[in-house]
Amino acid sequence: MKFIPFFLYLLLIGMHQVIWREMTSIYGASINLPALIVLAVALYKSELAAVWFGFVVGIVLAVNPGMLGWQALALALLGLLAYHAREKLNLESLYTKLLLVFAGILLHNISASIIQAGLKFYQLWLNILTGSIYTAVIALIFFLFKDGIITVKKIKSIF
Amino acid sequence: MNWISNLFSRYWRNFHFAAILILTIILMVNNPAINGLVSQVTVSVFNYPFFIVKNFFDGLVNVDRRNEQLQEALVQASVRISMLEEARLENERLRAVLGFEPPVGYSLIPAKVISVGGDKMPTAVVINRGLKDSLYINQPIINQEGLIGRIIAVSNDYASVQLLTDPTSRVAARVEESREMGIVKYSIVEGMVLDNFPIQGTIAPGNIIVSSGLGGIYPPGLKVGTVVQVVYPEEEPFCEVRLTPAVNFNSLEELFILKLNGL
Repeated sequence: MKFIPFFLYLLLIGMHQVIWREMTSIYGASINLPALIVLAVALYKSELAAVWFGFVVGIVLAVNPGMLGWQALALALLGLLAYHAREKLNLESLYTKLLLVFAGILLHNISASIIQAGLKFYQLWLNILTGSIYTAVIALIFFLFKDGIITVKKIKSIF
Repeated sequence: MNWISNLFSRYWRNFHFAAILILTIILMVNNPAINGLVSQVTVSVFNYPFFIVKNFFDGLVNVDRRNEQLQEALVQASVRISMLEEARLENERLRAVLGFEPPVGYSLIPAKVISVGGDKMPTAVVINRGLKDSLYINQPIINQEGLIGRIIAVSNDYASVQLLTDPTSRVAARVEESREMGIVKYSIVEGMVLDNFPIQGTIAPGNIIVSSGLGGIYPPGLKVGTVVQVVYPEEEPFCEVRLTPAVNFNSLEELFILKLNGL
């Protein structure tokens, strides 16, 4: 039973990759939902869950079978690093969590670019950095809901 | 067996890391059989169902776009068909007048009706010929069916035609067979009648009425109508002759102006 949420996360990632990724992309900058979910798992679950989940997401994510191992390793390491950063740092603050997510996404975007096609300087500005900021904004919305700073009740009270 | 159990629980975390590392190395070696199978399983479980959904909605969007294109094409085709149908009908009418010969001494000037006047029945039309075509007042207008009327006003580009259906119009006419004469006029109540036809005259339904040429406007021999009913009133010198007009005045489109040769 405890694997069901992870399976649903994987389905969400599959749906994002196939349907939403292109639709939500703005001038080439797209949301890195797989890395965001791996980071969220690392922030809220155990170390092993973060590493295994990162590993499986890497496999699900890799379109090119030749890159399966590298992608899996990159996301497993991301989960591990994020978990240990959470343990070492005070992550009660929203902004530190956001900073961690931004750094993690940036790291994953760079590693994914290197794995897939070799990093090109213009990509750093064009896709990687903008994509990381875009994903961080989505993460901010997620944390605002998760920490109860924004609730459906509060939104309803505005109207 | 106990020491194995202890070892396993003590290094539980490290076993997991070792397993992940081994699996990663296996995948990095890039064995086509293993990687292909793993990739196929993950794609078919986590991606393929969403591809079906995406293709379904993409198909709907395409159907919608295709529907719009077909609607547009349908409208264009409908307009084209109605234009072609109009051209076909015009072609038929023009073919019908192709062999039409004017009366001796006259030539024909073709014209098109551009507007029709009249209350319940057309009594006048405007044609697209005028002074620039050397038209003048009282020129007879005909088509392949028979006599239509005469010009009553001319401007540079247009001319007004009084039809035989105008109640003030009169045509000196005769029965084609017996050559006996009368005057053709038209009223909304009675329709077209041959007036002033003597009761002793020889006339019967089916007889053709043609212009006599005596009025000085219309040349002789132009078909005006066909007798449909003859009534002989008591103690009256003239009989009542009802006619069917030779021309359908409700469908005038192309007509001809008779031009006297030498003018």
